Amino acid sequence: MKCVRCLHDTAAKFAEAPDKSGAWEMYACSRCNFTWRNTEEPEVITPELRDKNFQFTQEVSDLQILVPVPPLKK
Amino acid sequence: MNIYIENIKGHPGKSVALNVHGSWANIAVMMGMDKNTPVKEQFFNFLGAWDKYPGEIKFIDKDKAPCHEVVIKDNINIVEMLPMFRINKWDAGCFFSKASVVTKDPYEPDNFDTQNVGTYRMQVMGKDLVGIQALGFHDIARHITHAEETNKPLPIAVCLGVDPVLTFMASTPINYDQSEYKFAAAINGIPMELTKALTSDLDIPANAEYVLEGEILPRVRVPEGPFGEFPGSYSGMRLQSQFRVKCITHRKAPIFENLFMGRPWTEIDYLMGLNTCVPLYKQLKETMPEVVAVNAMYQHGLTAIISTGNRFGGYAKSVAFRLASTPHGISYCKNIILVGPDVDPFNLEQVMWSLSARVRPAKDVIVIPNTPGMPLDPTSEPAGMGAKFIVDATQPAAPDLILRDTRLIDNPDSKGFEKIIADLQKAATKK
Ligand SMILES: [Zn+2]
Repeated sequence: MKCVRCLHDTAAKFAEAPDKSGAWEMYACSRCNFTWRNTEEPEVITPELRDKNFQFTQEVSDLQILVPVPPLKK
Repeated sequence: MNIYIENIKGHPGKSVALNVHGSWANIAVMMGMDKNTPVKEQFFNFLGAWDKYPGEIKFIDKDKAPCHEVVIKDNINIVEMLPMFRINKWDAGCFFSKASVVTKDPYEPDNFDTQNVGTYRMQVMGKDLVGIQALGFHDIARHITHAEETNKPLPIAVCLGVDPVLTFMASTPINYDQSEYKFAAAINGIPMELTKALTSDLDIPANAEYVLEGEILPRVRVPEGPFGEFPGSYSGMRLQSQFRVKCITHRKAPIFENLFMGRPWTEIDYLMGLNTCVPLYKQLKETMPEVVAVNAMYQHGLTAIISTGNRFGGYAKSVAFRLASTPHGISYCKNIILVGPDVDPFNLEQVMWSLSARVRPAKDVIVIPNTPGMPLDPTSEPAGMGAKFIVDATQPAAPDLILRDTRLIDNPDSKGFEKIIADLQKAATKK
C-alpha cells in the first residue's frame, strides 16, 4: 500500500481498534516510518492534500544523523 | 487546570490525562505550595528542596507493585494497548511526549546514580517499534554509545503516568552521576517507591500507570520526525535510534498521560521552566556567589536572564561566559541577559527597565559567532551550530567607567501591605 508521505509502496496496516468495533485502522510506512489512522482529517492522510513541506521526497540516506554510530571496541 | 479524556473510540476502559503541569498554579500545588505563589518564590522554594538531595529510595516487591497489575508479553501492539494520538497536525505519527525513560550505563550496571531517568520524545513506528531522539548532550546518548561500542542491545524502560515530581526531575538537567529518583524523593520529603523491571535490571517507579520495557537496537538509525517541538516549530526529520518493546505492564484501568506542545506558552513551558533555572543557578553559584537568581524559562533556556552583582568591572560578562559553559548552557543558552542584583529576573518589566536605563550598546552587547547550538532551535544552522549574544544590563563597577551620576528613586516601603492585598484578593476570588 502507498505511503501518504513518501509515496512509496512500502506501507501496511499494523493496528486496529482493540475492541474490534472497526472504529479505526492504523498504517505504517517501513521506509519513512510515517503512521496514520484512516479516521484522521483528509488534509493529513491524502497525499494530494498534504502540505508539500511535510512530504518526504529525499532518500533516507540523505538524512542527517544526530548521534553517529561509534566505532566497535575490540 | 488538567484535561481528562474518557470514552475513547475503540479503547473501552482507557483514558488520557493532559496538562497535568500546565500552569504556575499546578506547579505550585505539585511542590506543596499555595496555588497563588509568585514564580520567584517558587524558584527559591525549589532551591531549598534541591539542597535536601539525596532523598531515600524504597523498593517494593515486583509482585506487589501497582505498575505490574497487568502484564502483557505476547502480541505486543502499542497503539492497540494505549490510546495514542497525533499531537500536532504534521507530526510523523504518535509520540510519547512525557515519558520518564530509564536506562543504565552498560559500563556501570551496578551504579544506581548513573542510571538515568530522562524525557525524550519517542515515535511509535510499528507494532512494537519505537524511535527515540537521543541528542549528543543527553545522558542517554552516552549509554547508547557505550552499548553500541560493544554491539549490545541496551535495556530501556519507558514509564508513563508517574509522580508529577519525577516527570519534573526527568526533564531537569542534573549532573550525570546524580539520581533523578533521589532528587524526586528529596523534593517530596518521602521515599521514592521503586520496583524492578520484569525483563531487565532497571529500577522503575512502582506506581507508574504504564511501563513499556524493551531494548534499544545497537548500531541502528532510522528516519524519525518531524515533530512539533518546544520552540513552537516543527523539528526536522533525522536518523535516530530505535527500540523494540518486549513487555508492557500497566495498572488496572490505566491513565495514559501525555503532553501537548504548541506555540509557547503551553504545558511544556511550565514543565521545563523552573527546572531549567535551578540547576543553572546552582552551577553558577558554586564559583560566582554574586549571582542572585536565574530565569531561564524561555524555551528551555534559549533565552536566559541572570541577576548578579558585579564584583569588579566586566564581571557580569564573565558570569555569562560561565553560563555558556555549563552542560546545559553550552548548546541551549543563546540569548543571555544580565541584570543587577536589584532587579527581579522573573519580572520582565524590571528587566526591560534595566535594558532601557543601563545598557551602553557599544560596550555591553556582544555576539559570539559559531558556537554550539540547540538543533531544535529553528535558527540553529546547520542544526547543532549556533551563536550567543550577551547583553550586560548591570550597573558597571570600577575600574569600568561608572554610568553618569544617577540617583535612583526609592520604591515606597510596601512590604507590609503586599500580604494584606494578596489575602483580600484571595478572599474576593473565593466568593
Ligand atoms: Zn513513507
